[in-house]
Amino acid sequence: MPSVIEISGLRKTYRKLLRQPHNALDGLDMEVAAGQVHGFLGPNGSGKTTTLRALLGLIGTDGGTMRLFGEAVPRRLPHVIARIGAVVESPQFFRHFSGRLTLQLLAESAGLAPARVDEVLEQVGLRDQAKQSVKGYSLGMRQRLAVAQALLKQPELLVLDEPANGLDPAGIHHMRALLQWLAHEQGVTVLVSSHLLSEVQQLCDSMTIVSRGRRIVDGKVADIIAGHSGSQLSVRLADAGQIREAVEVLVGAEGGVSVAAERERLVVTGAPEAAWVTKTLADAGLYLSELTTETKNLESVFLELTGTAPQAGQAVQVGQPVPGTEETPAAAATAAETAIGGDQR
Amino acid sequence: MNLFKAELHRIARRRLTLLFGLLAVGALLVMTAIMWFNSSTGPSGADLAAAQEMADAANAQYETCAADEDYFAAPDSEYSWVEEDPVLGEMPHEQACAELFWGDSQPEDFIYVYTFQFDQEGVFLLIGVAIVTGLLVMLLAASAIGAEWSSGGMANLMVWHPNRLKVWGAKLAAALVLCAVAVAAMLVLAFALLYLTASVRGDTGTMDGPWWEHTLARVGRTAVLALGMTVIGSALAMLGRHTAIAGGVIVGYLTVGELLVTFVRFGASGIKYPDLLSLYTWIGAWIEGRMRLDHWDPVTGASDPMVLTATDAGLLLGAIMLVFAGLATWSFAKRDAA
Ligand SMILES: Nc1ncnc2c1ncn2[C@@H]1O[C@H](COP(=O)(O)OP(=O)(O)O)[C@@H](O)[C@H]1O
Ligand SMILES: [Mg+2]
Repeated sequence: MPSVIEISGLRKTYRKLLRQPHNALDGLDMEVAAGQVHGFLGPNGSGKTTTLRALLGLIGTDGGTMRLFGEAVPRRLPHVIARIGAVVESPQFFRHFSGRLTLQLLAESAGLAPARVDEVLEQVGLRDQAKQSVKGYSLGMRQRLAVAQALLKQPELLVLDEPANGLDPAGIHHMRALLQWLAHEQGVTVLVSSHLLSEVQQLCDSMTIVSRGRRIVDGKVADIIAGHSGSQLSVRLADAGQIREAVEVLVGAEGGVSVAAERERLVVTGAPEAAWVTKTLADAGLYLSELTTETKNLESVFLELTGTAPQAGQAVQVGQPVPGTEETPAAAATAAETAIGGDQR
Repeated sequence: MNLFKAELHRIARRRLTLLFGLLAVGALLVMTAIMWFNSSTGPSGADLAAAQEMADAANAQYETCAADEDYFAAPDSEYSWVEEDPVLGEMPHEQACAELFWGDSQPEDFIYVYTFQFDQEGVFLLIGVAIVTGLLVMLLAASAIGAEWSSGGMANLMVWHPNRLKVWGAKLAAALVLCAVAVAAMLVLAFALLYLTASVRGDTGTMDGPWWEHTLARVGRTAVLALGMTVIGSALAMLGRHTAIAGGVIVGYLTVGELLVTFVRFGASGIKYPDLLSLYTWIGAWIEGRMRLDHWDPVTGASDPMVLTATDAGLLLGAIMLVFAGLATWSFAKRDAA
């Protein structure tokens, strides 16, 4: 399928007086295929908004290339902008204008039919509040208004920066249904950024995970999850001296099993079932003293990949790097490569 | 063109636009009312009679005083203080009486008649109306653009219209059209109201060909000044990306900037024509068409005049406007928008 968005080697350095230059984007690559909901996942500050701003010509870049519908941007942006609807960092809009007037002015500026305004207000569920001034809108309602203005043009590509922010659960559900309908029924390509893996998991077909301005991994959401969240088995042998032998037996027995030897135990991933391990080892005359199943949680993989780790009581939110586990992005990328092989480009 | 129309609607639909519009019309009505009640074509018979009475009374009191050398010294006199007064006390008696009671009073001394001369004073009022309207539109334009930056609306608009020069051009054009319409409307309204006032309560004077020529030239140049101010207001908001910054710069210059010029004017003897430092001098020359500055030789006292023409002033003021507009364009084209 042709790529709607192609980004390669994108760099953006913020320079401030008396400060170290800061690489917000450090050679980012991304491809988004047509007709999909694509998640753009990364912790806060990983460069998602910066990427989208650059893609839409709001900020200059310090290197790399970007293409939208095959056209080089930002140079050719005026030629493709009519096919793109976008929300970058929920605009606050004019406080004293009504939601409808806000949309009417945008529609007028692009020569769109005025009837579109009511259609999109209906689509995002703002019809009843259309005449109120934006001043009285909640964060979630402003977010919907922002999405409504992105939908005005009937875009082929919809770019949304953290659209779920400020929405209540019903709003998130509605938004998810709307975006999936747009992608799967209307053939719109949707790019959604998020810092929540669970959100991406529920909404997106494919995703790109970024950290510190670089791509860590991308591919189909289902594939990435399958590649990571499979359970692993921790195996101890009655005779600890036979570990090396056990590794050879397991690896030689059947393809697709990966085995890592740790000090006193083996970590087996990709095994069809636990009983298979017991049998294979017993057939070779090796006897187990202990076998436990460790379910590897997808979040923890994401945290590992992006060099961040969970905080106590915060299962889903991805936040600050944990002191002491600081990994260079390069090292994280290498780790990801070993872990998932084929998904990496 | 669509973008321009949308921008025109955007600025016209703002509440501040409505507020400033009402304010301007209200101020104009107040000004007309003041002229209406102050001006009169001449005193009425009753007014004249009353004034004659007051003049007669004053003259009578003067006569009484002048006839009596001891008028002030009389034991029951309310004017005993006059004897001790350092000025009045020293005067000859008659002169003191004249000072105190307005000797030789005429009825005109007791009646105030002001006749509004439209052909002379009306022009200054029209120029004032154009300048105030220009200032209001300048603030309006700055506020519209500034608020759009700070609300994120500008970045959003740029996602719709990536060609930044087009966006800036449309916004500037919308502000200029608003300014032109506002100045023209206010001038027409002011002309009608003041002309009516003059014809009913004052004197319209001689409005002949040369008068029209001179008046239209001055009022027209003021309208151009208003357009220039709108460009500067918009450019400042584009540079500062916030209403408060643009407004602060404008108000700051109008107060502190001119204050500094005043200091320089008194302090710096090295500058031959310190008035040239003040923007108001140039604005005055632009509107009037000609302004004479004098430099008096400290020794001979002879004047060494310098004349500023509308062309001189137009070049300087136009250059200032272009610098601001150019900076705003450059910064908008180059700087990151978020
Ligand atoms: N205007 C800016 N000036 C300086 N640094 C910035 C600016 N915008 C973003 N950054 C920095 O760039 C990095 C990426 O930010 P951003 O793209 O907003 O992250 P995300 O959207 O993924 O949370 C952050 O470290 C942020 O501090
Ligand atoms: Mg962000």
